[in-house]
Amino acid sequence: MSDRSFQKAQKRAAAEIFWNRRRRTLFVLGAAVLYLTVTLAAGWFMSPECYDIDYSAKFTAPCPAHLFGTDYMGRDMFFRSVKGLSNSIGVGILASAVSSVIALILGTAAALQGGALDRFINWCVDLCMGIPHLILLILISFMAGKGGRGVLIAVALTHWPELTRLVRAEVLQIRSARYVQASYRMGKTRREVAKEHILPQALPVYLIGVVLLFPHAIMHEAAITFLGFGFPAEVPAIGVILSESMNHITTGKWWMAVFPGLMLLTAVMLLDAAGENLKRLLNPNSGNEA
Amino acid sequence: MKKEKRDNICSSKAVWIMCCMALALYSMAAGCGAKEDASDSIVCYVGHGFWDGSLDPVKGGFAYGYDFVNNSLVRVNAQSEYEGDLAESWEISEDALTYTYRLKQGIHFQDGSDFTAEDVVFTYETVMANQGQNEKVDLSKVEQVEALDDYTVKFTLKEHFSPFLDTTAQLGIVPAGGYDSTSFDQKPVGTGPWKVVQYDMEQQLIVEANEDYFEGAPKVKRVTFVDMDNEAAFSNASSGQLDVVMVQPSYSKETVKGMHMEKLETIDVRNISLPCRKPEKIVNDAGEELSVGNAVTSDLAVRKALSLGISRQEVIDHAFNGVGRPAEGWTDNLIWGNTKVYGDARTEEARQILEEAGWKDNDGDGIREKDGVACAFEVYTPSDEPDRYLLAAAAAENVRELGISIEIKQVSWDEIAVKSYTQGAVWGFGQYSPMVLDNQFQSGHFTVQTYSNPSGYQNEKADSLIAEAIAANSQEAAVAAWKEIQTTYAQDYPYLYLVNIEHCYFISDRLDISKDTQIPHPHGHGIPIICNMKDWEIIN
Repeated sequence: MSDRSFQKAQKRAAAEIFWNRRRRTLFVLGAAVLYLTVTLAAGWFMSPECYDIDYSAKFTAPCPAHLFGTDYMGRDMFFRSVKGLSNSIGVGILASAVSSVIALILGTAAALQGGALDRFINWCVDLCMGIPHLILLILISFMAGKGGRGVLIAVALTHWPELTRLVRAEVLQIRSARYVQASYRMGKTRREVAKEHILPQALPVYLIGVVLLFPHAIMHEAAITFLGFGFPAEVPAIGVILSESMNHITTGKWWMAVFPGLMLLTAVMLLDAAGENLKRLLNPNSGNEA
Repeated sequence: MKKEKRDNICSSKAVWIMCCMALALYSMAAGCGAKEDASDSIVCYVGHGFWDGSLDPVKGGFAYGYDFVNNSLVRVNAQSEYEGDLAESWEISEDALTYTYRLKQGIHFQDGSDFTAEDVVFTYETVMANQGQNEKVDLSKVEQVEALDDYTVKFTLKEHFSPFLDTTAQLGIVPAGGYDSTSFDQKPVGTGPWKVVQYDMEQQLIVEANEDYFEGAPKVKRVTFVDMDNEAAFSNASSGQLDVVMVQPSYSKETVKGMHMEKLETIDVRNISLPCRKPEKIVNDAGEELSVGNAVTSDLAVRKALSLGISRQEVIDHAFNGVGRPAEGWTDNLIWGNTKVYGDARTEEARQILEEAGWKDNDGDGIREKDGVACAFEVYTPSDEPDRYLLAAAAAENVRELGISIEIKQVSWDEIAVKSYTQGAVWGFGQYSPMVLDNQFQSGHFTVQTYSNPSGYQNEKADSLIAEAIAANSQEAAVAAWKEIQTTYAQDYPYLYLVNIEHCYFISDRLDISKDTQIPHPHGHGIPIICNMKDWEIIN
């Protein structure tokens, strides 16, 4: 082995040691949180004037004044995209909060109670997972009157089944562990066992589940809005922006689809990476994996 | 974990390859279709969704008032007047209850049989017996159809109905002997200039010239209509695969190699309904309580200021790239259109009207108020028609200068039906029949007929004039009454008329679509261009 290649290998090894999973996780998680909070806050406090109609600037290609270009009505695509993504993130947060609470309650109840309740909850999970997710979303959104409310209810009510299963399996496993059984024998009440042993152990799985659920919720919001069952067209939302851009893609207005799409993709991929890394780090069982 | 990922990659690769193969096959097939005998055949895209139902005239197929596979008794000409098609001439009785048509002789159906009065009677009686299948041509006013001799048909009406002429322009005649309800869905037989070769619903329709057509064989021998979405059609046109492609006005500034843009005149007018009634609750026939009326638009001053003060040309420039003409009412290319023009963009006058009526901007937010009510309302547009949204948004932007705020919402048609009782909505109308005036201004239709009289307009004089026009026993008397109706409601401004749209098409440079014989297009962007397809010519 020559000296140079040895040095290279050494450097790489050093970098690998530096970028260990913990640092990498922190970095990705930090980036994800930063990206989301900045977008959410920017969208929240943005005045609608930023993306107001300006017919004199129709279809401007990306330039310093309009970083992401403008659309047919001369609206600035950068501000619209930020506002849109912020709306999507808002829906994502609310939906994953609601879904995860449902999942936590149902999953724990199923595992601890067992019997008829367990069978019933499993049956509900199977029922919901049996229907194609997008169709279920459309059905619920349509029934709830479409628009912002419809999409929120639909996304919030359809993301619990997978997480419920995870939580249930985890709780079942913990419940049958010897130390938990021992606690029972020592006279601890059910509530005490749940509080001291089961919840803290089940929490990592649950938290990772929530983080991984979040990008799904955002994507699904954008998807049903794109299909016309979500946010109405006058609301800046990523789905609306993307479906509008489809009308102009054949005439070469690429910026209307590319930048908003990239923004959505970045958000989803960052969250996904953060979730995956967290899973490796927090889940003790995966500690032995490469 | 790793294994799973590899599988995913493999399967996505497979999907990719399949997609590419499908795409290649498709473009090869499309290429073949377009090139096959290209010297006298053309491929057209005239809008999405026109080829999705039965072609049988008895079931409402092709009830547009111009020739295609079947001819009607009368048709509309380039001056929007009715002229004989299969009929030579017609007479209306003194009491306006019988219409007698004398038919042209020596005409044959495409199956070789002779066209006689019997076929007309058969067609009308079949539709009357199966009116439920045909929602386009309403024959409920007809009492009886009889053949006086081989070439004379007499219609007896149950009640006066002066627009009956238009009804007879919409119903294509089918042969009594060869009619078959099932096969006519796909392959109708008529007397018209075009014969159906193949019809694949929602995909394509292929027609070829009827060499025996009684007005002379069409010069183009074979036409293929493809059904796809607007964007796909435009890409196909860009790659040289289409000879005619309908586009939205937002595409009108584009250029396509080997094609030129044609903007064709229409009778289609876009307006925004402005609820005329004060907010109230009414109970409809079904016993449901409905909220109707709007506190802002029920003020005549607001409606008048909107109509006078808006700059239509600016709205058209912004929303439609300048395609379309400012309209303050129905168009002058309709025989019954009363185009009293009051001039565009009288902004100062409009401001004054609002001031005098007490609408003043006291809090400095740019929006006027009166008695604590902001001069603001909502306008609803259908979510499947982006052009109406663009129009409404441009109008809202424009009237903000007057101190009036309009919020635009996109919803489904079902929601518009209900929302229009209390808020504005964007409407498009373009038909030869003056019954559209009955539809829009007859007070009895409000909340009773869906989408009719959305403004809730109430005017006894207009109501009685509509009745008079329908009962008229001559075309002249009817037209005079229809025109007076428009004068009557003009001072109430129940609708904010905006634009007489133009239909945009890219036409291949090798094709002449005979602009002189194009009729002013009725509603339905796309298909009306084929009204004179028999006169089209391929030039080299």
